[in-house]
Formats: sequence, C-alpha cells, structure tokens
Amino acid sequence: MAALLFVAIQLNAQNVVIRNATVLTVTQGTLENTDVLITGGVISEIGSGLRAPRGTEEVDGTDKFLMPGIIDAHSHIALSSINEGSSPVTAEVSMEDVVNPYHIGIYRALAGGVTTSHTMHGSANVIGGQNETIKHRWGTTDPDDVRFRGAPRTIKFALGENPTRNHGRRASNASGAIVPATRMGVEQVLRAHFENGQRYMTAWDAYNAEAATNPRAVPPVYNDRLEVMADILRGEILVHCHSYRADEILMLTRVLGDYGVHNITFQHANEAFKVAPELAEFGAHASVFADWWSYKFEVYYSTAYNAAILTRNGVVTSVNSDSGELNRHLYHEAAKSQRYGNLSDTEALSLVTINPAIQLGIQDRVGSIEIGKDGDVVLFDSHPLSVYAIPELTFVDGVKYFDRFEDPDDVRLQISPSASIGAYEGQITGRDRVHDHTEVVNFFDLFSDIDFDIDSDNR
Amino acid sequence: MSHLSSASRVNSVLLFGLLSIVMLVPRSVQAQKNSPDIPVVSNVVAIQGARIVQAPGRVIESGTIVFRDGVIESVGRRVDIPYDAQIIDGDSLTVYAGLIDVLSNVAVPAPASPTQRGPGQQQQATNRAFPTFERAGITPEKDVRPLLDPSDKSVEAHRNLGFTTVVTVPHGRMLPGTASIALLSGSDAAAMVVQGEQPVVFEYQGARGVYPGTPMAMMSKFRQLFREADRRMKVQAMYDDDPTGMTLPPYDAVHGTFGSIINRDKRVFAFTRDALEVHRTLSLQSELGFDLVLTGLSGGFDTVDKVAAADAGVALTLNVPDKPEWAAEVGKDSLDQILAAFDEETRTATFRDVEAERRNLEAKQLQSRARYVSMPAQYADAGVSFAFTSYGMEAKDVTSSVREYVGAGLSRDDMLAAFTTHAADLLGLSGFMGSLDEGKMANLVVTNGDLFAEKTKVRYVFVDGSKYEIASAKGGNGPNGRRGR
Repeated sequence: MAALLFVAIQLNAQNVVIRNATVLTVTQGTLENTDVLITGGVISEIGSGLRAPRGTEEVDGTDKFLMPGIIDAHSHIALSSINEGSSPVTAEVSMEDVVNPYHIGIYRALAGGVTTSHTMHGSANVIGGQNETIKHRWGTTDPDDVRFRGAPRTIKFALGENPTRNHGRRASNASGAIVPATRMGVEQVLRAHFENGQRYMTAWDAYNAEAATNPRAVPPVYNDRLEVMADILRGEILVHCHSYRADEILMLTRVLGDYGVHNITFQHANEAFKVAPELAEFGAHASVFADWWSYKFEVYYSTAYNAAILTRNGVVTSVNSDSGELNRHLYHEAAKSQRYGNLSDTEALSLVTINPAIQLGIQDRVGSIEIGKDGDVVLFDSHPLSVYAIPELTFVDGVKYFDRFEDPDDVRLQISPSASIGAYEGQITGRDRVHDHTEVVNFFDLFSDIDFDIDSDNR
Repeated sequence: MSHLSSASRVNSVLLFGLLSIVMLVPRSVQAQKNSPDIPVVSNVVAIQGARIVQAPGRVIESGTIVFRDGVIESVGRRVDIPYDAQIIDGDSLTVYAGLIDVLSNVAVPAPASPTQRGPGQQQQATNRAFPTFERAGITPEKDVRPLLDPSDKSVEAHRNLGFTTVVTVPHGRMLPGTASIALLSGSDAAAMVVQGEQPVVFEYQGARGVYPGTPMAMMSKFRQLFREADRRMKVQAMYDDDPTGMTLPPYDAVHGTFGSIINRDKRVFAFTRDALEVHRTLSLQSELGFDLVLTGLSGGFDTVDKVAAADAGVALTLNVPDKPEWAAEVGKDSLDQILAAFDEETRTATFRDVEAERRNLEAKQLQSRARYVSMPAQYADAGVSFAFTSYGMEAKDVTSSVREYVGAGLSRDDMLAAFTTHAADLLGLSGFMGSLDEGKMANLVVTNGDLFAEKTKVRYVFVDGSKYEIASAKGGNGPNGRRGR
C-alpha cells in the first residue's frame, strides 16, 4: 500500500545515457553534442555515439545542457534539529544523528538541480555541532540512505553577533549571561577549547602508550566534546565557520594557525574580500552569498563582487544558499556573481559545483563530469547561467529523482494524519523562516517559559 | 491423565485446607488490628460455565476456572469446585488472562509541573551548559518502586480496561528512571511490586532550556554517559583488584546505572514517537551495544523491516493519531468515496481548482492515518512478536485504538497475544503470567463477550486473585466503552 501512495523508492543505482547534450564538465571544458553514460551509478563514458548496455535508460539531450549536480555548501534542510543552543561549545553533537529524509526540502532542492547538501548545525554556538553531507536520494525514509558515504567529517564554528547574543547578551537575571559577550570572548572560547582538546589528546596518547606496557594504567576521563576537539587538531575534521567581518576572519586564521589547523572554510564571509590575499595565503576557503546582506548590523559592509574578488585572489570560493528556497536557484546565484565580477562560465559554474566539493572534501567523487565520478548530473533546458534556465531532470547516482515532466502536485513522504488541511496553506518555505520549519525542534522554543529575548533565526 | 489429576486434587484440597487454617489466624488478627477492612471470607474463586480463553487460540467454550490465594488451581471443561469457593456464574461470560502494559506511568502520581516557577526559584541561577543531572532530566537511577501509589487514579483506570500488570516508570524526561513490574492491586507500594526486570527508560524528551535540549544532544549525552560509565567500570575493577597507589575511582548513581546497562543487568526500554527515533535508537544500540526494547514506534510502518531484523524487543503504542477535524464530521461512506476518488498523479494548479486539490489532500490524509492504524497488523504480518504500551497516552483512548487496530486487519489472536503471551515473554514473566494455566498467577479479565468486540464490557478483573467488580453503570470504562471524542 505504501508503495502505491508515494513516490517509488529508487535506491539502486541505475544505468542511464544522456545523448547529444552540451556537456558542461566544469573541469574539462564544454563538450558539444556529447553523450554521457552512467553505469552502476558512476560516469563510465563520455563521447559521441556511445554504446549503452541493454536496459540503459535513454535521455535525449539535444539542445539541452548537462552539468554536474549542484552542491550546496551551507544548508539546513532535512534535519530534525539545528541548534543545541544551551552551551557556547557543543562540538559533540552531530547532524548525522538528526538527518530527516522525509523533509520535502530534499525534493525542492532536486528541482533546483542540487544533488548534494552540506547540512549544518546553526550558528548559536562558537563551536556548534558536526555537520552531515547528504545526497538527495528522495523517497527513502531511512536516514542512512541519504548519507554521502565517505564524505569527510566537518564541524560548524560561529563568530560574531549570533554566539555573543545567544550566550553573552541574555537577560541578566535568571538565565545568566556567560562568555562570550564580545568578539574577544569568542576568541577566548575557541582558544580555551583548543587548549583543552590538546591536553585531552595528550592525556589519552600518554595513557595509550603506557597501557601497552602497564596493565594498571588508568584511562583519563572520557569527554566526547574534547574527543571532537582532538579530532579537529588531528586534521580529521574540516572546519566550516560562520563569519562576517574581516577582523574576526583574520582572528580565526591566527587561532587555527596557532594550533596547526588548516582545513577551514569561512561561511557567509561577507567581508572576506577585504582579506582575500591573506585567506589565499592561509589556504582558507570561502563560501559566500552572491548578493545577500544587511539583515543585521555585522552584515552591512558587503559587495556582490565578493565571490569574484576571492576567486581572482586564488581563494577556493563557493556560493551557497543557507536556505530551503535559495537552494532552488543556486545557478542563478552563480550567474549573479558572474554578472558582477566578470567571471568566466567555468569559474561561475565552479562556484556551485567543484569548489563546494573541494570545501567538503568530496571533489574526487562529485563536482564535475568526469569518467569515474558519481552519476550526479542535471539536465537544463538552456545554459544554466542564463536567467531563463530551468532544470528538467536531476540524477543522483544515475537514478532520476526529479523529472519536471513527471512532477505530481504532492510528493511528500509524510503527511500529518491529524492536522487541519488549512495548516498546509501556511507551510513556511521561504528563505527567511526556513529555520523555523515546523518539523524542526527549535531549541529556543524549549525556553518558552524562561524570559529572555532571542532570535532563533541564527543566520 | 484424569486419574492422576483427581488424585492430586484430593491432596491439594487437603493441603490447602491445612494451610488456610494455619494462615487464616494471623491474617484475620492482623486485619482486625491494622485495618477496618472486612477480612476476605474466602480466597478461593470459581468461575463456572464460562468461555475460557486460556491463551490466543486455546479456548474452552464452556468450562470452569478455580483459583486460590492468587494461583490458578484448575481450569478445564469439567473441574470440581472446592467447597470453600466463591462461585461466579460464568454463563455468557468470557475469561481471559489479565492484560499487560509493557511501559506506562501507571500508579505513579504526576509531579507538579516542573515548568511552573515558584517563588524564590527566580533567583536560582541555572547553569545551562552544565546543569545538574536532575535539571537535565537524567535520573536513570530513580527507582519507581517507592513512588507507587495503589490509590492513584491511573491504577483503577487501567484495571477497568482489563489490565492487571504494568511496567511503570517515574514521570520525567530523557532518562526518567528505573521501571518496575507492578500489579494493579495491593494496599501499598511494596505490595504492588513484582520482583523481576527493572529496565531503564530512555526517551527523546529534551531538558527545558538546558543541555541536552535537542535530539542530537540527547544522543550525544547518551553516548557520553555510556562511554564514561564503561571507563569507570574498568577503573573500579582495577581498584577492586588492588587499590594500592590508585586514587579512589569516581562514583555517581547515573554512571552506576549505566554500568548496569553496559554489563547487561538492565535493558533499555526506549520510547520512540516516530520512525526517525526508531532509526536513531537502533544506531545507538549498534554503536554502543546494549539490550534494547523498542517501545512506542508510532509511524513505525516505515521501519518494519529494520525492526524485524533488529536484536530488540518490541512494544507498539496503543496511541492512534486523532482524526482530522474535517473527517470527524464526515460519514464513513463519504470518507470511502473521498479515498476512492484519490488521484496520485493529480496536477492541479491551485488557482484553477482549489476544491480538487483540497479533496486530494483530504484523501492523502486519510491514507496517511490508515497507515498508522494498520501498523500493528504490518508488524504481525512481518512475523514480529510484539507487546503493547500505553506510554504517553491516556487510558481512555486505549479502547478506540484497539478497535481500530482490529478493524485494520490485526487478528484478535495477535491482539490478545500482544496484550498477554507476547508481553509476558518480553518481560520474562511467562512462568507465571500471560495465560490461564494451572499454577499461574490468578490475573484474569472477565467480560460479557469478545474482549475486542464493539459492545463488550469488562465485568470483573482479578489481580493476583483479588476481585474487582467493574461497575457497569459507568459503561464507558470497559475496553469498548464510549469514545472520548
């Protein structure tokens, strides 16, 4: 019965050949009138007149444009909770645990040609939780089936107004303000936790060494928060840091430099253009908006040339959505950065494909159309950087998960058996309230009986 | 066979006669001394000429059951009724084993709302990041047994439905406490307790305003407690072996209780409210390794295969989602029509035909609710042996859920098994509960018809042999009483 009601689940990688399309490989130029064959979920051949194995799905790409599946480096879709806002540091929590494959945001993203999202902890804390990279395999209800297997671990940091407001500026009566209340405090929280992480790592390394010869060696107290700090220090976790101002961006590069951490992508980073050479020298990456700012004080000094300036300075740069609405037109966002900053087509497309892939450590698997890479591709009706472009078919691992011509009104996997019909009319989908989606446990709702004023929308 | 049993009956009558002479004296003295209650005249009851459902699929169409001092003495077509028995005419009555609720808060008085801020509480600063265990809702060591109150309204409400035994746990949040098996009778807390399993209950209820508030933090906290408890056990073992030169290992009740989970003295009864919580709990189990009973599983129609393959006991919720308001006003025929008119592939632009879109949404909602209602039938079809739980719901809603589950294809035998034999198996009580067999505890529910049928009423409930007559005037109290809404 379930199968009749809902979109058929297609988890097994399939074979598909897209013929005679203009193929925007991103890393190997543009190929006219070219076939792309995907077998077993992986791109196996690129060329013309390709012979496809029996049973391969044929797609006519004539006069159409095939590009790699778009990668959104900053997203909060498909999660049951976003912010564990109770503590300035919650490194141990992980979005891996709260992936929600029922979330309609996955299908909406597919409709915008997005095949992979970096689903992140919010910015309430200086060191928030670990993030999860997912593939948009819509139709499954098992969280394990949407994971991007093999993607490196990443973690969310946050600087500036959000963590200082959430922790340092709370009503000073019952709930009590704590460090950090200022940008100085943010730096000290970071340093203190790196320091503790280092001590923790040293203590466990010493124990492990001693335990080899001494059966009476006593293991140090287990602390999952510091385990994660130690893993960052070991280089096993990529840092993605919510940031806006140039001074705090430089501050974090110094802190990380002091602790030998070099895997850093600055998220939002509206003032990154001011320190682009410094970022390039440090090897830092940036993931920015094309032209979105002025939603709070620290985000007024911004420019639509940000992505272009960073790119020209050699910083690996992506354009992200941070939104369940904006992610449906990331190709437009890339085009805006091109329009302002005179980027080439390939540079502009890289902002939403290979560059976010590099920032997430998955560039060997996705982000371009190359033999051996995953069969994550999107077919557009016109050039994706055109303002008229519409994604028609979206494939993940060679499986078609979105087809504009077979797109029923209601593809939800989960429908409240009790809510009034009217409740759906007000379902929030826009960029501004995406964090407040009804299916998400809003941490700050948990404070409803405690009087302090807080903005739950921690962008 | 009959030869043997009649011989042994003579012996047992003699033996019980002697025993009751010996035991009656102090008992009646005590009753006169300590309570105004009238002493029970006889501890022997015979229900004669009743339909007896000994266990699912094992029915005596007309038989007699005799129990004495809380133990079933005999059950069969022809059974001699002891001279000292209270006789209940079982004509038109059906006798079942008492029902078992595998997780509940029954008999535990609800605490005053912790969210209410009393005077003086305002000044008390809370450390949000590092709250006390109590404040964080982490009290797995909290033993329910001293909290049991046989006069709590929930005891009678549950018993009136036919329940005789429950697993019950303190009210709380993420780790509310250590549960116990309890009888729905007894004069005080101690008398209710059935010695046996005392599982730790875990649920995804975050602490209000402090760590851990969200599901992800609760999972992290569970891992942290588990792993640190594991370390402490190892250190303690070294210390027990030879404390020379060692600092005294740390101890607290929370980590101590997790130690019992780690060495599998205690199972974890995890309450899950949706399919995602089922997945999350199973990943915690596979990561850490502990004995698990999954309870609740509302929305678990999406996890049937995974749960069937898992190494975990299962107790499904008796809670069915409310009908949407619009459907309450629509007759069944019309609802069927709405369902029949459903078009999976509809593509109606909202601005063109709002009505068509609304009808389709209504049909999808009906289908969605049907999946919740058919969940137990799906688990039964998959061969999963499951019990039931009323955790997180009100007793008055049990009856309508039971009826809906049967209507959605769960066989009456599977339903009864979930309430009796499967529940007893799950809790390790099969030796003395779950069926009406000689030697087992006299936990019975006596009805005027099929337990799960439309108009059936519960007439008597016997808990450990104690009789409770269910007032028929109330009517709404039987397992098939009036629906609340």
